Amino acid sequence: MINLGAELKEKIISFIIIGAATVSSLLLLAMLIYILRESWPIWSQIGVSAFLTGSTWRPLNTPPEIGILSMIASTMWVAGGALLIAAPLGIGCAVFLAEFAPSSLAAVLRPVVNMLTGIPSVVYGFLGAAVLVKFFEVKFDLASGESLFAASLILAIMVIPFIIANSEAALRSVASEYRHAGIALGVSKPYLTMRVLVPLARKGMLGALVLAFGRAMGETMAVLMLAGNILRFPGSWFDKGEPLAALIALELGSSIPGSFHYQALFAAGLVLVVMVIAVNAVINLLLNRIQNEV
Amino acid sequence: MKRRKWLSLLLCFILAITMLAGCAGNETGNKDNAAAPKDNSIKIGGSSTLAPIIAQCADDFTEEFKTWNNVDPSLPEEPIVIFVSTGGSGFGLKSALDGTFDFGMVSKTLKDEEKEQFANGSITQLGSDVLVIGVNAANPVAQVKPSLTTEELVSIFSGQIKNWKELDPALPDRPIVVAVRDLGGGASEVFDAAIMKGTPISEEALQIPSMGALAGKIMDNADTIGYVSSGLVNQNPDKIIPISVDGIAPTLENINSGAYKVGRPLLLVSKDQPDLREQKFLDYLLSEKGLKVVEELGYIPVAQ
Repeated sequence: MINLGAELKEKIISFIIIGAATVSSLLLLAMLIYILRESWPIWSQIGVSAFLTGSTWRPLNTPPEIGILSMIASTMWVAGGALLIAAPLGIGCAVFLAEFAPSSLAAVLRPVVNMLTGIPSVVYGFLGAAVLVKFFEVKFDLASGESLFAASLILAIMVIPFIIANSEAALRSVASEYRHAGIALGVSKPYLTMRVLVPLARKGMLGALVLAFGRAMGETMAVLMLAGNILRFPGSWFDKGEPLAALIALELGSSIPGSFHYQALFAAGLVLVVMVIAVNAVINLLLNRIQNEV
Repeated sequence: MKRRKWLSLLLCFILAITMLAGCAGNETGNKDNAAAPKDNSIKIGGSSTLAPIIAQCADDFTEEFKTWNNVDPSLPEEPIVIFVSTGGSGFGLKSALDGTFDFGMVSKTLKDEEKEQFANGSITQLGSDVLVIGVNAANPVAQVKPSLTTEELVSIFSGQIKNWKELDPALPDRPIVVAVRDLGGGASEVFDAAIMKGTPISEEALQIPSMGALAGKIMDNADTIGYVSSGLVNQNPDKIIPISVDGIAPTLENINSGAYKVGRPLLLVSKDQPDLREQKFLDYLLSEKGLKVVEELGYIPVAQ
């Protein structure tokens, strides 16, 4: 009798949990469908390739010209650049925290690093705009200090804590037999870490980088305040540019709902979402391959 | 132990019930709307230029009357609640149309097709926001060329002239930093209508997400030229130097006489005719007290 009651309870709970999971996945699907529907006129009239490879963005001209190649390039520069800065620092820090740091030091460092994630992005953006932009103007005698590089620097600081936390977890989850075997064989601690533990944890570390990359692509506020938001195609990391997220945040408020401009912004949003999903998918494939090799 | 189990079960039930309630919320909400047309708060949203004015007036209005029966004896004794939120002129138009807000705040000249959408409702002008061409106080252009012609402005903002020296040989050999608001926003539409007349803005122009940040950019960077709300120029008289357009300075006289033409109206729009409460608030906004707030915040109040 008691058993039956417990079973029933279990069933109810699992039903509720499955329901919650279904609702949240449906929510994602519904969001995608909604964005696709709002942007449909763009895809059917302009065409996917013209929209993606056009580099002129003048949605209010008659006839409007909409191409988001410059914005896609800016997004890749900003997010890729942020990762370039954050990956060595983040992974290095994770290795240090997991393997080398004395526990008293780690006990101080870890909460401080975690606290960095809690700082709102607008604060980072504000700091960047007030300090970094001014610094570039004065130090390098630039006419204006905004650049994709400045945005990357701030984004790097924002994603480092994610890289550290996930990489450290990956290192810690390496089975302790490897450590014991290393110690038994008498290899040095650096050798054990770099040649044994890090290669074993690379799956988790790669995952951490992907998470950071996705976050950097979607981050809006700091980028909006630092990238300069110019429409020209960014030739280098040190040019100004307008990443997709900044474009949408900047223009959606003033676009007339239902207009061509509005639909074009939704189309840009869809591109951004698909880019983030694609990065995740590619990495998942890559990870599966690595796992099969090991 | 057992107690904890029950607790978790209870939490799960609460989760499930709130989820179901969330699903049903929309329907019942609509039904409520149909039965009793409105709750008694006034919701206003839209342009970030207008929001501080309306918020200030709403505060003063609530402070002064506290309950509706003090405003008009025929109204019940209920506290006055006015919500103000921002999101841009486009958002203001959309939300006023779909009923999210009772009033939409719009700070741009309405197109004819937009006016039509509010034919059954109301469009009220509170004042105008005048855009001033401003430069940094350290920029010698204010002394060398205190007035620029429309053609000169067009060539600067379209990127044909990229260096201050090209504008006038007496000016320093420094690049011109052009700062604008987001293309397609209210302010850039005003600038296009008055100055650019369809000439595209330079691809190298910095698009700045808010008027305050644009003013900040001009105050921080000696090479910047941009258009700023007259309010912000009045608040920072020594830091942003106004430039005349075709010899006409953005003074109060020139603005009121219509000689200075770079401006946009500040509007409140509603889909339906305002009810008594809303009308009373509109009357307050257009009274001396309301228009004083418009002026204090640096805009030009509508003539009474």
